[in-house]
Amino acid sequence: MRKRFKPKISHSYEFELDLAPLLAVMVKLVPVLLISSAFVQVMVIETDLPQAVKEAVQNQEDNKDLASVQIDVSRQEGIKVIVAKQGQQSVEKIPVLTDGSFDLPALHKQLQKVKAENPKVFRLELVPGGDISYNEIVKIMDEARKSRDKDVRFPVWDSTKQKDVETDYMFPDVTFANVMEG
Amino acid sequence: MAYRRKTPDYAPKAKTFALNITSMTDMFTILLVFLLQTYSTADFKVEPVQGVSLPLSNATTEPTKAVQVSLTKTELIIEGRTIASLDQGHFGKADLESSDSNFIKPLFSELEKFAKEKADDPSVKEGKVVFQADSSLSYDMIRKVMYTASMAGFPKLKMATVVGN
Repeated sequence: MRKRFKPKISHSYEFELDLAPLLAVMVKLVPVLLISSAFVQVMVIETDLPQAVKEAVQNQEDNKDLASVQIDVSRQEGIKVIVAKQGQQSVEKIPVLTDGSFDLPALHKQLQKVKAENPKVFRLELVPGGDISYNEIVKIMDEARKSRDKDVRFPVWDSTKQKDVETDYMFPDVTFANVMEG
Repeated sequence: MAYRRKTPDYAPKAKTFALNITSMTDMFTILLVFLLQTYSTADFKVEPVQGVSLPLSNATTEPTKAVQVSLTKTELIIEGRTIASLDQGHFGKADLESSDSNFIKPLFSELEKFAKEKADDPSVKEGKVVFQADSSLSYDMIRKVMYTASMAGFPKLKMATVVGN
């Protein structure tokens, strides 16, 4: 019997990928993305918070026995952290550094301490002096908003889970206490 | 002697050639990745006003639709329109209420007009303002804007900042 002919097929061959359609899609996508891209990302400082923290802030409004935390900022005297609780007031002074700037790391540490003592307080009253720059005010608000240390967290009651959860928020609800002063 | 026929110079050359677009595709891919990273999904974009150097902040809240008020070193702008000029970093006497130095008259009237014209707008109802101010301005100047906006029924001031440390 004659041996059946078996064609030899080579599986190792090269072909050129047609990139033209891919390029056509990219050429259309790039202008669309260029128009809708935000090269300068502008954000806003406001009190848009996670649900558990929002509830805690709401509860704070109802609970009048909680401590009130105030920060006075003065070019001459530096930063004063004033905590008033049940008729008693404690004042912690953070002096201005030798170069005239505010000691923000010290302020952050002090606020962490205040928050640890008063975990239910989320509101902070800020009283900056008239000569304090907007940039310095934003920096102070940044220090007060969240704890930067990953191992420093504060308990907050989550009503949906019915247990305490941990948050890095310290004082996100900042009020300018002296806006309406004459 | 063997005679070899020479190809004439006027022989037609191939008119089409295959363009190598691999490198161009590479470039476009990198560009696409970069643009996708900077792509903003926010429904409302705040364009920084010329002459305003916004402060850096770690705030990560996307801005929402609201009346835009900007304070540069030289002027007070509302929704792109200059309503008051600043002289050496201070408002002119004509722009301030004589009995109340924190009250900016043109800002109050513009915000009041805005509140009447767009009474159905939820952001106006809630009294929201997106405020852009130059980082070097003093709190004294910013307080005037805050005070007047509160008086005009816009107490929810959102301070615009640029993402950074």
